Amino acid sequence: MGVGKALLVKGITLVIVLLAVLSLIVIVLGATGVSDRILEAYVSEQLRQIRQELSQRIKDPAQLEQAIESYRQELRSAFGLDKPWYLRLPDMVWRVLTLDLGKSRSLTSFSGSNEVAVIVLERIPNTVVLITTAVVISALIGIFSGVKIATKAGSRLDRAVSFLSSISYAMPSWWTGIIFILVFSFYFRIFPPGGMYSTPPPEDPFTRGLDLLRHAALPVLTLVTAILGGWIYVSRTIVLNVAQEDFVEAARVRGLPERIVMWRYILRPAAPPIMTNVVFSIAGSIGGAILTETVFNWPGMGRLYYEAITAFDEPLIVALTFLFTLIYIITRFILEVLYVLLDPRVRY
Amino acid sequence: MSLSNSWRVFISSNVSKVGIMFLIVIIGASVYVLATYPADFGKRYWNDPTYWADYPKGAPPAWIKYLAGDNPPEHIILFMKEPSSREVYQQGLYASIYTAEFTYNYDDFPSFLSLTMYNITYYNKPPLVIASLTRPGDEEVVFFIFYIPSTPSGENPPYRVFYENPRRVFLSGEAAVWQEVSRFLNDRYGIVLSPSEVGKVGVEKILFGEPVGDVFRLLKGRYVVRVAFIHSDERDTVSYVKFVMGGKVYGLAGTDSLGRDLAVGLLFGFPVALLIGVLTSTLTTTVGATLGIVSGYTGGRTDEAIQRVTDVINNIPLLPILIFLVFILKPSIWLIISILIAFGWPGLTIVVRSMVLQLRSSQLVEAEIALGASRWRIMFRHILPQIAPFIFAQMIFTTPAAILAEAALSFLGLGDPSIPTWGQILDYGFRSGGIYTGYWWWIVPPGLLIVFTSLTFVLLALGLEPVINPRLRSVKK
Repeated sequence: MGVGKALLVKGITLVIVLLAVLSLIVIVLGATGVSDRILEAYVSEQLRQIRQELSQRIKDPAQLEQAIESYRQELRSAFGLDKPWYLRLPDMVWRVLTLDLGKSRSLTSFSGSNEVAVIVLERIPNTVVLITTAVVISALIGIFSGVKIATKAGSRLDRAVSFLSSISYAMPSWWTGIIFILVFSFYFRIFPPGGMYSTPPPEDPFTRGLDLLRHAALPVLTLVTAILGGWIYVSRTIVLNVAQEDFVEAARVRGLPERIVMWRYILRPAAPPIMTNVVFSIAGSIGGAILTETVFNWPGMGRLYYEAITAFDEPLIVALTFLFTLIYIITRFILEVLYVLLDPRVRY
Repeated sequence: MSLSNSWRVFISSNVSKVGIMFLIVIIGASVYVLATYPADFGKRYWNDPTYWADYPKGAPPAWIKYLAGDNPPEHIILFMKEPSSREVYQQGLYASIYTAEFTYNYDDFPSFLSLTMYNITYYNKPPLVIASLTRPGDEEVVFFIFYIPSTPSGENPPYRVFYENPRRVFLSGEAAVWQEVSRFLNDRYGIVLSPSEVGKVGVEKILFGEPVGDVFRLLKGRYVVRVAFIHSDERDTVSYVKFVMGGKVYGLAGTDSLGRDLAVGLLFGFPVALLIGVLTSTLTTTVGATLGIVSGYTGGRTDEAIQRVTDVINNIPLLPILIFLVFILKPSIWLIISILIAFGWPGLTIVVRSMVLQLRSSQLVEAEIALGASRWRIMFRHILPQIAPFIFAQMIFTTPAAILAEAALSFLGLGDPSIPTWGQILDYGFRSGGIYTGYWWWIVPPGLLIVFTSLTFVLLALGLEPVINPRLRSVKK
């Protein structure tokens, strides 16, 4: 199989995943009548504007009502509200895809707009920055120490790390974040308890950057503690498994220096499965980010989820669910590309 | 490996022993809750603020006094069921007098005072209530005079009031009490404080202290609370009287900002977590393993179909979908469990399928086919037992995932409102700003219990590792 074909298959699978999530979303929205509600809100919003314009021109109240009523009928059929929900599915899929979901009732964007698309889109960078930083830090520390520990398998350090990583698996990351706030913010007052910048944010870019770092420290630390344990453990296990292979033994018997055995005979074949694991842990990081942002009031998509749940904002929840899936799938695809480039076995 | 042999390997490791010990604690707590809690605990007690009215709000656990070194007031409930004396006055008046004596040796004032009366029965006129506190030094302070409202005419005697719900008087916030206490301050110390100023200072400070300069100093020693009902008929009765002095510490785990006893709520979390964890992991594993075996053994189109579906579901990020579905379909514990199962099985299916592919070409299976065994018989009588230990270990290993997912969802405000869980306690603590005010007893224990429960299953899974085949172990992600 060529590189292109391998990637094409992966790409198609991921597109199907996206379509499956989309269909799930619109079917649930349709069957529960929530899509009706979203569209009705849309229609009445438009009608309000029309009424304002018309009332300038038409002075007779009865005539005005009649005109508005005809507009209403027109809008309702344009939005498909006169048809049953299952006939409206393709239209609704398109709406979700383009984030054309109307306006939020209670939440606004930083710039003051209440358009769902605007609110959601401006939060993406904040989430991506947080997740990327945490994943990169965990990857560097996790893979490096996993490999190091694998060379000392069975030692006290090895056992301690294994134990710590099982605790890290059992610990809800968001609770760790709460404890960090309690300790570092409430008792020691080293770090701010939440937010992205102080209010008001510092003017000059350098202090602004420092301010951001100070605010990001605890959320990043929380995510890293959540992700790191698993990575160390998995990298260690994979390296250990490869190290037991016959060809590694053969290399040693041939008298190759340990450094070459390590890099060429152990790490090279261990890299792809470790990559696979990176791919899988992105899903976990996204979940972790939703909760971590909530705890630290980080103005990303995760915190928005929490605010939308609290405000009972249906269109926002739909948009966020779709976007999280989309981001996840894009990340998966990028990593699949890396994986194919890294592992010759996939290509042939 | 035989079952007893497996057990010996399993139990020989310390990890398993600790895991088993933890599991016994969890099961013990769950059994206790199931035996003693009412089934509608969540709706009827936990989420009903009136039930918790007589508890101190936001009080830390009582054992902090051993750490802090001082003696903070504990929560005191004086329950008076029988009158300590009955008196006959002139003019056909009677009095039943409820008294209770106590020693107040704490280092701080009570956080509030309240008086509760239940089921007052009268024949002629509604009784009059006079409540007083005798302070150290035999000084009696009348702090509350209360005319029981008469029931509407038309009923026949005996009349009953406060019998459906007890009448609770929050003395610290009652204007009539402020007035009495203001009068007492003036008569006794010559201090002029208007009733509303008394309310600001705090009734409990004045009743349990004496003025020194601008502040009140606590009077330690023997107190007697006395509640007298003045009747106009001999047959009049009162079921009970309750005098509560709110503590500044409470119980084993303290209380939250609504006064809910956290120990009670935390304990209730055990069976719920166990149910969510075990039910979800059992069903997820059953579905995942069955599909994996069928897919791996049957091959062909069935295999292809199962693989494609598995691939799709395995690529869906769980939490966003979980949030979306639970939000739109209304939070319920069964819905949460169902979604976790529906999206949780593919991981196992992929692994089991690759194991079955290896077993399919084994001589055992070929011999079975030659003997004419049916497909289902081969799959579930011959292939399944070989991978069963691995599946079992996986089942235990995925149990924490379900518990953590439910906790996360509850924390986001999507928990089942009729069933309190640890995640919900944390959610409420977070929402009402418990972390920013340092309510550690509200924030730390629920999280610790989640970790404890999850860790139990992780330890059990670790203990099972030597039991399952090393080659199978290496397949595990």
